[in-house]
Formats: sequence, C-alpha cells, structure tokens
Amino acid sequence: MAGAGVIDEYVTALDRRLRGPDPVKDDLLAEARDSLHDAAAAHRDRGLAEEDAQRRAVAEFGPVTTIAREYQGLLGLAYGTRTLRSVMLVLPLAYVMWELNRAFWIGAWDDFDAPPPDWYLTVARFNDASAWLVAGAAVLALLVGRRLARTRVSTVTLARLAGVVAVVAVGVSLLGTVAILAATAYLDAARLFLSLPVTAASAVSLAVALRLAVLARRCVVFSSV
Amino acid sequence: MKSDALRGHLDALLLATLDGGQLHGYAIIEALQRRSGGALDLPTGTVYPALRRLETAGLVASEWSTVGGRQRRTYRLTKAGQRALDAERTAWREFTAAIEGVLGGGPWPAQA
Repeated sequence: MAGAGVIDEYVTALDRRLRGPDPVKDDLLAEARDSLHDAAAAHRDRGLAEEDAQRRAVAEFGPVTTIAREYQGLLGLAYGTRTLRSVMLVLPLAYVMWELNRAFWIGAWDDFDAPPPDWYLTVARFNDASAWLVAGAAVLALLVGRRLARTRVSTVTLARLAGVVAVVAVGVSLLGTVAILAATAYLDAARLFLSLPVTAASAVSLAVALRLAVLARRCVVFSSV
Repeated sequence: MKSDALRGHLDALLLATLDGGQLHGYAIIEALQRRSGGALDLPTGTVYPALRRLETAGLVASEWSTVGGRQRRTYRLTKAGQRALDAERTAWREFTAAIEGVLGGGPWPAQA
C-alpha cells in the first residue's frame, strides 16, 4: 500500500463507524486528518520514510474502535444539544402562533353555547402547559449538561442523557397535541374546521411535534455506542 | 505514565496548555508531550474529543483559522476556562503539598 493511503484508510475507517450530523462529522474528521498529517510530518522530520511516518502517526492516534467511540459520543451530544435547543424554541413558538391564530380567527373558546366538560378542560390545560413545561425541561437539561461536561461524565453518557430528555420532552408534547385534537374531535369535530388558518396551524403544530419526535429518535440512535 | 492516571487530569492539562494563547490541536498535543518530558503517552486521538467536551462546557472556544498557511481549528481559553484552570492549579498545589508532607523527605523517625 502506498504511504499516502495509510492516513486516508484510517480516516475512512473512522468515518464508516460514525453516525451523526454531517457538518459536525466532517469537521471532526477534517481535524483528525490534519492532526495525523501534522504527526506524520513531525516523524518525517525525524528521519522516518513517508509510509512509516504515517503508520506511526496512526498508531499514536489510537485504535480506530476506541477513537470512534469517543467521536460517536461527541456526535450524539452535538445532535442531542441541537434537538434540545429546537425543543426549547420551536414548541413555545408553535404554541404561541396557534393561540394568536385562534384568537384572531375564532376568538375566545368560551364564546361557544355550552361550556366544555371538565375532562376536556383538563386535556386543554395539559396541552397548554406542556409547551412551556417541555421547553423548561430542555433549558434545564442544557444547563445541567453544560455543568456535567465540566466533570468526568463521558460524552457518551451526556449524549444518552440528552437523548432521554429529548424523547420524554417530545413525547409529552406530542401526547398533548394528539390528546387535544382527539378530545376536540370527540367533543365537537366541527370545531377542528371552524377556520382554515386555525386548522392549518393545528396541522403545523402536529407536524412540528412529529418532526421533533424524529429528531429525538435520532438522538437515541446517535448516542448508542 | 499510565493512561488511567493521566485521563483523570487531562482536562486540567489541556486547559494549562492553552494558558499562553490559542493553539491548534496538534500543537496542544506537542505542548503536552514537551512539557511532560514525553511521559504522557495517551492516544492522541482522545485529545480532540476532550477539547470538544471542554468547548461544550464553555471552558474553551474554537474556530477555524489560518495557521502557517493552512486552515486549522484553533482553541483558546474562555474566561470560565481561565477560572477553572486557576481553581485546578490551586487544588493541585494543595494536593501535592499534602502528599509531599507524608511521602516526601525519606523514612519517618522512629516513635519514642
């Protein structure tokens, strides 16, 4: 094998073992490649031939399985952090947009002839609170994660924690959205179609929750090492 | 030096190498090896994840910049990182002083 291929082969093997957001992965691999070429250059300066210099650099960098585990932890953590930030921002925004839409196009819910039953109000309050509770949980998780990153807690563990919080948070949000839609359909399905903009906003809220569920699932996949 | 013993102090060692200014990854590895007299034999590939974790913790910041005509990711201490390094140094001095008092200075005099 030509000497120029030793580093390339190592980086390719590392690449194959990693799953996660491409920009972060490409950045990590570019830095690893740079470091290996720097190390190989240092060994060449000490008199080693090109291929031997690259083999020494690769050996010093560490076994690809060991290094891949550490890098995968970083990728999982990066994805988990990004997902929690999305949860923190998107869910309250979707909730506020829906409420503004409803207030503008329909007005207050209590304009209806008959007041809704208690069970419906419970579901509605749960859905109203869930956006803020879930966003608060995401903020708390990000702050705690930042503190834990200063301890000896590994990036793999941090990534798993982020994934668990993301799954629970998105699950609660999705449950709230589905519950209020189902409850409204059961109580009076016509209310779901009172106003096209509000119906569209409801569809957007559901789509946002489903999209976040996909992201949360990926958090778990990427933090699995 | 055993990797396990080193790993427990890796964060502090990385912060210390950045105390003099920003460095790219391989320069940090060279500084670690030079300042330890070559005793630090940790796989160099583990240094980068450690640096990124310190970045997540807000103790270092990084950016791509041109060094020696090449694009490299360079790292620097943040203010929080500087405070963390100062705290690590203080804790290390207290620890080594305590251990030196017990282990240093040769055999203890026999008790009367």
